[in-house]
Amino acid sequence: MMITSKALPRRAFLRGMGTAVALPFLEAMVPAMAATRNTRPPVRMAFVYVPNGIIMDGWNPDYEGTLGVLPRILKPLEPFKQDVLLLGNLTHNAGRALLDGAGDHGRCSAAYLTGIHPRKTLVDIKAGVSFDQIVAKQVGAHTRFPSLELGMEDARQAGDCDSGYSCAYTNNLAWESESQPLPPVLDPRALFERLFGKGQTLTPEARTRENLYRRSILDFVSDDTRKLEADLGPTDRRKLDEYLSSIREIERQIERAEHDNAQIDPHMEKPYGIPADFAEHFKLMTDMMTVAFQSDLTRVITFLVTHEGTSRPYREIDIPDGHHPLTHHRNQPDLIEKVTQINSYHVKQFAAWIGKMKSIKEGDSSLLDNCMIVYGAGLSDGNRHLHEDLPTLIAGRGGDYIKSGRRIVYRRETPMCNLFLAMMDRMGVHAEHFGDSTGRLDGLDLA
Amino acid sequence: MQFPGKAKPPIGIVFDCAMGKIDDALALAMLHGFDGKNEARIAAVGLCTPDLKAAQFCDVVGLFYASATTGIARAFMHLTPIGLDGGKASGGPAGSSPMLDATLGKSGPDGKPVYSTTIKNLNDTAEVSTLIRNALTAQDDQNAVVVLTGPATDFAKLVDMYGLKELISQKVKLLCMAAGAFPDGPPEPNVKADIAAARKVLAGWSVPIVAAGYEIGAELRFPGESIEKDFAWSTAHPVVDAYRACRPMPYDAPSWAMAAMLYAVRPKENYFKLSEPGTIIVSDDGRTSFAASDNGRHRYLILDPAQKERIVRTYTELASAKPVARKPRRPVDEKKDEKEEKKEEKKPEPAN
Repeated sequence: MMITSKALPRRAFLRGMGTAVALPFLEAMVPAMAATRNTRPPVRMAFVYVPNGIIMDGWNPDYEGTLGVLPRILKPLEPFKQDVLLLGNLTHNAGRALLDGAGDHGRCSAAYLTGIHPRKTLVDIKAGVSFDQIVAKQVGAHTRFPSLELGMEDARQAGDCDSGYSCAYTNNLAWESESQPLPPVLDPRALFERLFGKGQTLTPEARTRENLYRRSILDFVSDDTRKLEADLGPTDRRKLDEYLSSIREIERQIERAEHDNAQIDPHMEKPYGIPADFAEHFKLMTDMMTVAFQSDLTRVITFLVTHEGTSRPYREIDIPDGHHPLTHHRNQPDLIEKVTQINSYHVKQFAAWIGKMKSIKEGDSSLLDNCMIVYGAGLSDGNRHLHEDLPTLIAGRGGDYIKSGRRIVYRRETPMCNLFLAMMDRMGVHAEHFGDSTGRLDGLDLA
Repeated sequence: MQFPGKAKPPIGIVFDCAMGKIDDALALAMLHGFDGKNEARIAAVGLCTPDLKAAQFCDVVGLFYASATTGIARAFMHLTPIGLDGGKASGGPAGSSPMLDATLGKSGPDGKPVYSTTIKNLNDTAEVSTLIRNALTAQDDQNAVVVLTGPATDFAKLVDMYGLKELISQKVKLLCMAAGAFPDGPPEPNVKADIAAARKVLAGWSVPIVAAGYEIGAELRFPGESIEKDFAWSTAHPVVDAYRACRPMPYDAPSWAMAAMLYAVRPKENYFKLSEPGTIIVSDDGRTSFAASDNGRHRYLILDPAQKERIVRTYTELASAKPVARKPRRPVDEKKDEKEEKKEEKKPEPAN
């Protein structure tokens, strides 16, 4: 570690030709004399949402306490089970009909982070400020982006997506006001340019033009990189090299996806840089989420994997049937099996991301250790549209706070908003009440 | 949101009791009788006791009635969550409640329990106040009636919950409580068990409150002979087993909880006379008194001797009613959604 009285600023960037690459947490950012005080990496949080419920028999272990053998859907998380806390019996009452009839898919996604029963409408939408945005407003001052809203599928904001519920309800997780959702960014290229580029999203035509002269953004910041490297110790140099390599790899993946898309179908309506392959798209988005957290570009991310009610087929795993119709399986074993495979497939992608987050060192811990990444759904049983015992897990320790490697089952009807209240506390945002909370969820930090 | 022009469903009943006495069990059977006749819907059942067996008993009764019409497999899917005071939930001291022990411990010739329960531990139950709050959010305005036949502890907590005073005023038409003694009498057990909570509920629940005093239930006795005669349609009925376990048969049981339940669901049937409006006052020793006033929200039931026989007959008819399958009550648009889902399943695969 470099011994210096003047540390590298935490918010340092490598700059050049319209790009600004934020740096990861380096030891050089810690002044020698201050190493023991207030130098902990920040706590970040993310939400990864999967739609249409989960086959709960494949999700819930038949035990509480220390995680042992994981059920089938959670199997991909086996190598990381010491980093995972499984929560049982959390409920979103606001997602239930409450006299509004059909539309559980629209309601559950709108209620998921807002804790509010949304108005059943196609036009004058109304839910509530989502809790990630409450956190973002307060901790966002420390980062370039208060929050990032990401997704992988159709971001239509109008029309009827579920029995009289606007698509704005199914296609967004984050809401900055009760009538203003924040649509997710779907296109990896758009996200990349938002994170590292000129702060603007280029049109496909402009991008194509620019691609003639395309170089890596790392080329633009090479002068700054060389200068910085000269001042770094060997550990930091290695960390910086790994970090910049990961950015270059993301660039390559995007370029590959763009090239492949052009080969496959030049007329397809998908945004320019979206990979055709689900796993590839998931990896690209989560790779950028990793970099965004690693370089403290943001501390709050929501990731709507696919939207509620989606009928996306999963040909990648030989399931040509639509996801939503399959979830209304009426207890037919063959259909349940297919939904289980889809659920497992999602968790497999998630687990790969968790592995990556865990592999990145940050101070004395890992990047994952300093995060709270909630993976879950707004429905438990997608066949019956149940809003209780929602499948919920937290990966990461929120900065030496959460005691992972366990399963906690709360009492029935325990509000999901109680978890949010506890997470807000951990993010340094204190509120007495959120949604239908009845108090802070206890037990997260108990061994 | 409520849709104008849509007929309100039958009144939703929130039932909170201790389930320590047979009249609570009979009132629960009576509530299932009302539900079966489509006169009321069971919105929630709460237990103001930490005894897990009390929750298991309510669950057993719910499963019994549901499975009688839907079959046991479907019955498991349509159970209303049960709230339980989370104080200890140890299962209660052995032998503390013969009616619960006998019913839950009853086994068949094969040695297996006669009655099934989905409740194994505290986490299979809900916090009472949260359960009731959630149940009220699902009721039409002024279409919920709350029946309290135990100490008011949980209901006092509701007054302190965020936004609950407004929700109660919006949704609850009536709170009917088996509590107090009128016009005067010794301290009544439910009030005496938590005097502060009783005062808080009487003052903080800004809805009409009707008390079924001790004298009502003591006078109106559920006939033991009904147990032998009217429930014969079932070879194993949990409430019958509970009744038989309480005391040596035959005996007639007091009906504090049943009186409250009957008035709650059929307030206009003139089973009882009503006091003038006023305020119920709880003294420090748990005695209740009544101060009449034109703008008072409280009343208490007065027994009309002419109605006694009719009331007891109604008790037996409802508590022993054989469950009948009935059409599900679903909003029209929900059925439409189901049809759309079926259509979606038949659609050709979307190009992707």
